[in-house]
Amino acid sequence: MVLTWHDVRQTDIMHKKEDRMIKRLAAAMLMTAAASFLFAGGSKDAAGKSTGTKGATIKFRYWADNTGYSKLMQDIIAKFNAENGKGITVVGEESPWDGGAYSQNLFNVKMGGGDVDCATWKLTSTPLFVNNDLLEDLTPYINKWNKKADIDPNIYNIMKKAGGSDKIFVMPWNIQVLYVYYRPSYFKKAGISVPKTYAEFLEAVKKCTMDTNGDGKPDVYGFGMRGSKGGQEPWGSFIYGEGGSFDKLDSAESVKGMQDYIDLFKSGYVPPTAPSDGFNEIIANFQSGLTAMTIHHTGSSQKMIDKFGDDVSAFPFPAGKGQWTSMGDTETVVFKSCKNKEAAFEWVAYLAAGEGQKMWCEGTGNVPVSKTVAAEPFFQNNRFMKASIAGEGFAGILPILDTTTEWISVTWPNTIAQALTGKIDAKTCMDTLQKGLYGKK
Amino acid sequence: MEKNKTVWPYLLVTPAVLVILLVVFVPVVHAFLMSFQSYDLRRPKEIAFIGLQNYGEMIADPLFWSALLRTVAWVVFGVGFQFIFGFSLALLLNKYFFGRGVIRAVSMVPWVTPGVLIGLMWRWIYDGNFGVLNDVLMRLGILKDKIPFLSQTTTALPCVIVAIIWQGIPFFALMLLAALQVVPEELYEAAEMDGANHIQKFFSVTIPSIKNTICITLLLRVIWVANSVDVIFNMTEGGPAYSTQTLSVYIYNKGSSLNLGYASCMAIVLALLLALVAVPYLKSTFRSAS
Repeated sequence: MVLTWHDVRQTDIMHKKEDRMIKRLAAAMLMTAAASFLFAGGSKDAAGKSTGTKGATIKFRYWADNTGYSKLMQDIIAKFNAENGKGITVVGEESPWDGGAYSQNLFNVKMGGGDVDCATWKLTSTPLFVNNDLLEDLTPYINKWNKKADIDPNIYNIMKKAGGSDKIFVMPWNIQVLYVYYRPSYFKKAGISVPKTYAEFLEAVKKCTMDTNGDGKPDVYGFGMRGSKGGQEPWGSFIYGEGGSFDKLDSAESVKGMQDYIDLFKSGYVPPTAPSDGFNEIIANFQSGLTAMTIHHTGSSQKMIDKFGDDVSAFPFPAGKGQWTSMGDTETVVFKSCKNKEAAFEWVAYLAAGEGQKMWCEGTGNVPVSKTVAAEPFFQNNRFMKASIAGEGFAGILPILDTTTEWISVTWPNTIAQALTGKIDAKTCMDTLQKGLYGKK
Repeated sequence: MEKNKTVWPYLLVTPAVLVILLVVFVPVVHAFLMSFQSYDLRRPKEIAFIGLQNYGEMIADPLFWSALLRTVAWVVFGVGFQFIFGFSLALLLNKYFFGRGVIRAVSMVPWVTPGVLIGLMWRWIYDGNFGVLNDVLMRLGILKDKIPFLSQTTTALPCVIVAIIWQGIPFFALMLLAALQVVPEELYEAAEMDGANHIQKFFSVTIPSIKNTICITLLLRVIWVANSVDVIFNMTEGGPAYSTQTLSVYIYNKGSSLNLGYASCMAIVLALLLALVAVPYLKSTFRSAS
C-alpha cells in the first residue's frame, strides 16, 4: 500500500486533534482537583458567626427510642422556636442510638470538625470528650441561671464526677431509676408478697419459678436476668445486696453477690437464655408471661400497662447488707465549637427545667430532674414513677472512667457469660471485672 | 507522535489510581504507623511511639490466640460448606428442569440480603424461648427441651457458621454455574466416547475446566469471610463468653473502644495472614500470564 501526501496530512491532523484533546483533558482534571480543594477547605467555614442570641441557629443532635419520642422531640423544638422570644432557632438532627454507636458517631463528627452545637448525652461518654477538649464548661452559665436551684445539688455533683473535675460539662436532663417489675397474679399464685429485703427477693425468685402445666419443667421463671450488654445495671443491685460495691468489685462481699447471680442461673430460676438476653429479650420474656419479675425503668412502663393493665406493678430493689439501683441518665451537652453558646444554653436549660422538661418526661415516663416538674400530679400519681422516686435515695451510676465504655460493651457481658456457663468461678469473674474497669488497658 | 500515544493510557488510569491510593493505600499506611504507637483516643495526651510494644502485648494476649483459632474454624467450615453446597446447587441448576428460572432467582435471596438483617433474622430463629427452630424441632419430636443455641458456648459458634454458610451459598452457585455453562460440550462427548462414566467426567473434564473459577471464588470468599463482622456482631457480638469472637470481631471491638494502636496491630497481622493465602494464587496467575 502506498501512502499519499493526502494520507500523511490526514494522519497529522488526527494526531494534532488528539494532542489538543489530551491537553484539554489534563487541564480539566487540574481544574477539578483545584476546585475540590477549595470547596473542601471552605465547607467548615460555612456556619455564620452571630453575636447575642438573636437570630442564632443552634444545631441539636438527639436520639429517640421510637417514632413517638421522635415526634415528641420535634414538637418540643417547634414550641421552643415559637416561644423563646430571643430569636433562637433550634434545628433538630436525629441520629439513631444504635446500641451506643450514637456516641461514637458523635465523637467522629466532632473530631472531624462537624457543626453540631449541642446534643443529648450519656455520662459514660464524658471522659472521652473531656480528654479531647470538645465540651464547653457550663458552670458559669448554670451559676447565672435563675432555675439552678430547681435541680438537686447531688445531680450536679454526679455531673462533675463524670467530668473528673469541679467543672460541669454535662447538663442534667432526665433520669431513669431502675426498679423491679412484677406480676401480682404470679405473686398470689406463689403465695408471697412484695419482698422487703434482698434475702426475701431471692426467695421470691425461687418461689415464682413454677411448673404451671404439670409436665415437670418450669413454665414461669422467677426472674428475667439480662446477661448481655446493659445487664451490668440490674446486676449491680445483687452485688450491693451482699454488701459489695462498684468501688471494689473483687471484695469478698462483691464476690458473694456474684455467686448469688450464678446460683440463680445454675439452679434454673432464670431462663436458660440469660447469658445472651438483652433488653428486647427480657421485655419479651416478661410480656409473654415467661418471667415473673424483671428489672427496668419507667421508659417501658406504658407498654406494660397496655399489656397487663393492673396485673403489673413495681417495687424498688430491696435492701440487703447494702442497697443500690442504677440511675440511668440522659443529659445534654454544648460543644466548645458552638458559635453561640448562650443560645445553646437557653435550649438545654429549657429541656432541663422549662416546658421542655415537662413535655419530655410526661411523654416518655422518665423521671424529671426538675423538682417543680416532679411535684406535678402526673408524676406523683403514677405507680411506676413512685417506685422510681422511691429508689432515688440509693440510686447511683457506674464509675465513669475511660475504660467504662469497653467494660460495658465487651468485658462485662463476656466475663459474666463465662461465669454463668461455668468457665470461670465467681472470684475469677470479679477479679477480671475489677481489672477491666480500674486497670489500664 | 509516538510519545503522545504512550502517555494517553496513563492519563486515563490516573484518576482511578489516585482514588485507590487515597482510599486504600493511605489508610493502610496510617494503620501500619498507628500499630507502633500507643494510639488510644481515650487518652490522647499519651499518644506516643512505642515500637513493638503492641505486637508484644498481642503475642501475650490469650484472647488474640483464641480469636485466631476461632477465625480458622470460621473460615474453614464457613467457606468449605459454602463451596460444597454452592457447587452442588450450581451442578443442579446447570441441568434443565421445570421451574429452573424461578429456583435460580430465589436461590439468590440469601446473597442479596444485608448482613445486618441476616444476623437479626437468625438470632430470632435460634432464640431459646420463642425461636422457630426450637419450635419445629420440638414438634417433630427431635427435641424434648428447648436449646438456648446462642447462649451456650458449645453451640453459639456452629450456629453463627450456619448463618454465614446460608449467606454464601448463592455466591458459589452463581459463579460456578457461569463457569460450567462455558465448558465445551465436545469435551464431554469425547470423554463418553472414551468410555468415561459420570464420576470420571466430573473429575477429568468438569473440575479442570472450571479450576480457575474455583480458585478465585475460594480466595475471594476466604478473604471476605475472614474479614466479616456484621453477621457475628448482630447475632452474638462475639459472645457468649467470647465463644464467637473471631479476630475481625476482636479488632472491631478494640477499635470501637478507641484503642486504635492495638486494633491496628491485630489488623496488620490479619492482613498479612490473608496475604499468605492470596500469594500462591497470584503467583500462579502471573506465571500463566507470562
